[in-house]
Amino acid sequence: MHMADPQSRPTLARIDADGAIQEAVEAAGASTRARFLRKAALGSAALLAGLSQPARAARGPKQDTAILNYALVFEYLQAGFYTEAESLGTIRAMASERETWARTLGAHERAHVRILKDVLGRRAVAKPFFDYRGVTEDPNGFTRTAVAMEDLTVALLGGQAPRVSDPGLRAAFFSLLTVEARHAAWARRIMGFQPVASAFDEPKTLAQVDRVVRSTRFLVSRPGSEGKRSPRFTG
Amino acid sequence: MRSLAGSRVLRIALVAWAILVAVAVWAALTGRLGDDTRSTAAVDRRPAGAQAVLPDPVPPAFVPPEPRALSGLDHVSWWSPVSRSTAVRARPGGNAPVIARLSTRTPEGTRNLVLVLDRRRDARGTLWVRTRLPILPNDAVGWVPRSALGGYGSVSTHLVVDVRRLTATLYRNGEPIFETQVGVGRPENPTPTGEFYIRNKLTRYANAFYGPVAFGTSARSPTLTDWPAGGFVGIHGTNRPDLLPGRVSHGCIRLRNDDILALERLMPVGTPLTIL
Repeated sequence: MHMADPQSRPTLARIDADGAIQEAVEAAGASTRARFLRKAALGSAALLAGLSQPARAARGPKQDTAILNYALVFEYLQAGFYTEAESLGTIRAMASERETWARTLGAHERAHVRILKDVLGRRAVAKPFFDYRGVTEDPNGFTRTAVAMEDLTVALLGGQAPRVSDPGLRAAFFSLLTVEARHAAWARRIMGFQPVASAFDEPKTLAQVDRVVRSTRFLVSRPGSEGKRSPRFTG
Repeated sequence: MRSLAGSRVLRIALVAWAILVAVAVWAALTGRLGDDTRSTAAVDRRPAGAQAVLPDPVPPAFVPPEPRALSGLDHVSWWSPVSRSTAVRARPGGNAPVIARLSTRTPEGTRNLVLVLDRRRDARGTLWVRTRLPILPNDAVGWVPRSALGGYGSVSTHLVVDVRRLTATLYRNGEPIFETQVGVGRPENPTPTGEFYIRNKLTRYANAFYGPVAFGTSARSPTLTDWPAGGFVGIHGTNRPDLLPGRVSHGCIRLRNDDILALERLMPVGTPLTIL
């Protein structure tokens, strides 16, 4: 199998205008309360629900909720990514093997969103607005970004799964993690990278994940399409 | 005598050798070679030890639903915010004639949106997006560079206003979910017909004439071209519900306040609008 040059491995090297992911990171306990509130003040209504979480939540139900919400943001990000590429016809234009892979992963990520929203109920963060910067419209960019996104999700879940306090939630979280790991291996194989890069997966801290996600700028403020000015329509 | 004795010894030796070979073959076939004690211990250790030491798996608190293929795309429409001011061209390509300019803000100060109709790459590989435009003449479309737009938003709703029947019907996934009677433009200031979209939503303003909610559309009055802010057609409430339904406005689509509040809950910005 042809292996691509490791130097050309995808990096999420652009994007997160308003720090929506950052808010979820901090809600999960990675940063300070002050920074969290400052970010919240700057906007990103999408994840304001995360504000209810303490900056360093004690291990327990509150921390579990914060971690699940953080995972939900990632699932939104991934589900939106695959769904947009499929809706715009990018996936349909790909070779058969890649098309099957992309459609399958999209269906999985949408299922993950549904279940996490169900579990969180009213505590679930709202779906953020995404700007995928054109990668959902370019087959090569799409595939390369998918590899990076799946790898990052594995690193995120690997780092957070042990912190989930409820045993049943933790068991479910690990099940999501193993599926995401298979996604990552499949994506790597599709792209011609080594499916299993090393003998041991190094979990990433929330701060590390946050840095990568912020660099993508995929998460942006929802366009301000609502206002309070008096209308001047024709009446 | 010596040769007879030697022959007997030879026969006995051959029989003994044959017995040994037969025993060896039988043992090999039945796996009886090797250390019986160690083999038995290994067999004993696995199931008994596992049952005694390893607990059952923890049942997961949730199990995701069955993954579903994407469906219902026939009723999905896409919109995008204008992220930088740009020229709109008649065809995809930097050399095509400019037919309009798009700004990033609406006259109401909200982010300008366009409805996405198609996408195409030009000869240089630049991606262009065909959009519906909030300009006169109504029904105008044009091409803008993808780089001038932000992320894509999607809706599965579609509002249809029938100026003859004086009705507004909201569809979701192709099914009607809301219908009401409306007021439309007087004959001298008719509500324009054609294909448009919902561009913004205004609330909490202090002007009872427009009711509690006003949606801005991409439609413009063909007669009131000097109206402040460009003569855009709105969909809004009213302080004169007694006039509805009827041909009573300057082109706007008026709903009773209860109806506009119900529509607000159901219709997102970016929804396509057909005025028949």
